[in-house]
Amino acid sequence: MGASRGEHEGFFGGSLVDGLPSIVAAAHELKSPLALIRQLSLMLEDNEVSETEYKYILRQISLTSERALRLTSDLTRSVRLSDAMFALEPINPHQLCEDVVHELRPLFLAHGRNVELVSQKHPLLLVANRDLLRRIIINFGDNALHYADKNTSVEISITKLKAGNIVRLSVRDYGPILPGGLVKILGKKIDNLPVTISTRPQSSGLGIHIASQFADVMNGKIGAIRHRNGATFYVDLQASRQLSLL
Amino acid sequence: MKKILVVEDDEWLAEQYERILSKNEYEIFMVNNALSAMDVLDNSKIDAIVLDILLPENTAFELLNELQSYADTGCIPVVVCSSLAGEISFDDIKPYGVVGILDKTVMAPNDLLLELTKILS
Repeated sequence: MGASRGEHEGFFGGSLVDGLPSIVAAAHELKSPLALIRQLSLMLEDNEVSETEYKYILRQISLTSERALRLTSDLTRSVRLSDAMFALEPINPHQLCEDVVHELRPLFLAHGRNVELVSQKHPLLLVANRDLLRRIIINFGDNALHYADKNTSVEISITKLKAGNIVRLSVRDYGPILPGGLVKILGKKIDNLPVTISTRPQSSGLGIHIASQFADVMNGKIGAIRHRNGATFYVDLQASRQLSLL
Repeated sequence: MKKILVVEDDEWLAEQYERILSKNEYEIFMVNNALSAMDVLDNSKIDAIVLDILLPENTAFELLNELQSYADTGCIPVVVCSSLAGEISFDDIKPYGVVGILDKTVMAPNDLLLELTKILS
């Protein structure tokens, strides 16, 4: 990763020297899903579960694995951001968000929550890299799942700002209030993640940091809005000018 | 029936604990944050607490401090169950009512049951 030994040791309070995700941070993020997968697998090995439970646990294992794999894939992509060219193109955000909803819904339903797209059918096109934008929204979705109350629906929405120059994709959850520390980090554009581990909820910091890096590559920015009963994470991107050129 | 309060923000891991413990005649109360834990402690006489370290909002250490502020909650034995177990010194948290630390990354499903049985017998 081009970082010398010791540069990533700031996870428990310092900032990252080179802006790359900390190896320690990544390891911690992956511990939780791996520990869960291990516990569930051992449970199945013991043969002390009913057939219904067996299927239920298998489903949990596969969904947890997919979630962990998404993080590893995002990490790899974020480390290679500076080496690669990411083509920006006009994108239909409605179609992209529909795909994300389709991908995330099984995980949400398994957790007793839902995810839905709340948008007009023909929003403005935006300029982005399809893969990176998809990863950002999925990342926000994973984060929202952690905070959303049971039996609530996480809403993905598309709005235009600044007279149509900016398109905002938002992920709104309905649950406990966003931790103050996280809002503070977002206020600083999350350039210096991670904060102290004790102020960070289980699985949000690294993912948000990666999302911020992805947004930067697309000349966009991410942010968060704190609500009385939950939070909205959003990414703002340039609207496409292609229609005005016709 | 002994009452166990599980404070764990990973729903599926909490379910796993419940799966194991409820088969052994424990009554389980599951919450995902420190504030809800205090609500349960207000309304039920809890015999032991299983506590994760990384929680949304307040940390487990804040909850441990809170527990020690009251005579009735200060004497409830706490088993810390965390993937950060390797970085926690038992001597440091023993004064806060912690009687055991389990490492989520290496524990077997029945380890929690064995630990609680040992504490409560």
